[in-house]
Amino acid sequence: MIRPLVLLLACGCSLSPAESVIEGRVTLPQGKKAPVMAKRYEIVTKGGVLSTNPPVAVVYLEGDFGKPASLPLRSIVQKDYAFIPSLLPVRTGTKVEFPNEDDTYHNVFSFSPAKRFDLGRYRPEDKPVPFQVFDKPGMVTLRCDIHEHMRGIVLVLDTPHFVVTSPDGKFRLTGLPAGNYKLKAWIDSRTTLEKPVSLSGGGTVKLDFP
Amino acid sequence: MKPTLALPCALLAISTTSIHAEDFAEGISDALTVSAYDDQVRARLSGLLDLELYTFSGEAPGLIFTDDSHLFAPRLSLFLDAQLGAPLYFFSQARVDTGFDPADDSLGIRLDEYALRLTPWEDGRLSMQAGCFATIVGTYVERHLSWDNPFINAPLVYENMTAIYDHEAPYDQADFADGLTHEKYEYNPVIWGPSYATGLSVSGKSGGLEYAAEIKNAGLASRPESWDGFDTGFDHSTVSTRVAWRPDMAWKLGLSASQGPYFTDEAAAGLPAGTGINDYRQMVLGQDISFAWKHWQVWAEIYQARFEVPLAGDADTLGYYIEAKYKFTPNLFGAMRWNQQFFDDVPDGLGGEVPWGRDIHRIDAALTWRFSTSAQAKIQYSIQHESGGGGTSDLIAGQLTLRF
Repeated sequence: MIRPLVLLLACGCSLSPAESVIEGRVTLPQGKKAPVMAKRYEIVTKGGVLSTNPPVAVVYLEGDFGKPASLPLRSIVQKDYAFIPSLLPVRTGTKVEFPNEDDTYHNVFSFSPAKRFDLGRYRPEDKPVPFQVFDKPGMVTLRCDIHEHMRGIVLVLDTPHFVVTSPDGKFRLTGLPAGNYKLKAWIDSRTTLEKPVSLSGGGTVKLDFP
Repeated sequence: MKPTLALPCALLAISTTSIHAEDFAEGISDALTVSAYDDQVRARLSGLLDLELYTFSGEAPGLIFTDDSHLFAPRLSLFLDAQLGAPLYFFSQARVDTGFDPADDSLGIRLDEYALRLTPWEDGRLSMQAGCFATIVGTYVERHLSWDNPFINAPLVYENMTAIYDHEAPYDQADFADGLTHEKYEYNPVIWGPSYATGLSVSGKSGGLEYAAEIKNAGLASRPESWDGFDTGFDHSTVSTRVAWRPDMAWKLGLSASQGPYFTDEAAAGLPAGTGINDYRQMVLGQDISFAWKHWQVWAEIYQARFEVPLAGDADTLGYYIEAKYKFTPNLFGAMRWNQQFFDDVPDGLGGEVPWGRDIHRIDAALTWRFSTSAQAKIQYSIQHESGGGGTSDLIAGQLTLRF
């Protein structure tokens, strides 16, 4: 699945003259191999090649930013036997819904310590759309109990300042307050890079993660 | 290590490593997946390691083969799934175990499944498959692997040995009416587990209607040694069909039928003069209904089977079960199953009639704990009662499964 080129919408912050910008590039790992859907015991199966997601990273500013009054509802869709988007960064406390847009059951679940849940089997027309509130920071791996190959990640962060890179690794974080912070790049479950960054109010800082 | 110690030791190892199990399992899965030609050709090796412990009162039940009162059965199943472009899918399964079914035999390796499936259209209206693969009949096949099965054993009708003896024709009516007088493994159930016989199938769907048909080298009751088409040939093939209707995603209603000879070549010499293997057939009619919603899954199947037995005539039996599974938490699910099988009368050789098997009912209860997406432990308790002096017996079983 080709992701929209750059997802720079996550912060929900508007840029004022006193706010800073960090932009740069994260060197991304090689793409994962496309999964193989095990369908040996399904009498009726569809043909087709499963889609893959290009690797992307999440860049975020770590610091003490207080608690938000409200958070926007986010969504991860199950479509064509895949989670879309396959990687969703959210702020701690965000409600994420999981609409099913396939013409078959899905059963989203997670065994991750940051959020352990099982939504059970549900249809596209089932209302309300099943959801979870991600109230603890950490990485939550999403799976489907029916379709073993499906994988998704919700990255729960204690900051409002985060962004998903483009597939070529480029990122741009806007609306950042002045101060000394750590800028982190989450690349996968085993790899999070970090660099100190000093923002003096206004201007653009260039920073790459090799 | 003593076999009885292996299960708790393995369990302990899984518990202590569960924090990193997810990452570890992902790493293994990535390492066992290959891809080429821009992902058009992909293959994945995966597996299940099962360690099973059975203890029972009375004779070993169902498809468990031992003279002892307990059995430890390890099993390693390796699966290869390959997608070749959009339309071609290949799969195979090889096993290292003590027998296709739990037995106190030595370890051996077998290739149990291999098949190539062609799906010309992406909407699934038609698929054609050739090879050695599970039957299209019924609904048990789709959950028969240890990771997917809420129980450790199969529903009764898939494992209860009847008086059908596929190696040899009965000498007379009384011989057949005497029931199971030889080693249990010599006899046959109505359907032998997933029945991985060799042949061809077509399947597909149109709207809510699904269809499938197969021609296989061996019948549903046939034993695993008969499933290899290269060994046994296709002179005595069985034809099976299935239609299912999905009024919506939650419900599925199915109808299956199968017909074909059940004797092996060894039995030919002992058949009544002028008859051959193809004159004695197994006919099966199955109906199924399944339901799934949220944390519930329910399956029910009823099978009517007729075996044409030399000298004894038609031996009819009816077996059914209803099975429910409920997920209490992401890690814990439980299941209950009620099974029953009835046997009709056959001539006893003395001018009267007797049932050709003991009516039996069994209740199964099981709990499964999933440590992670790659390890689970299951315990099961079953109690069964056989009429006609068969009495009551029970089974306690434990199973540890590692998936990679």
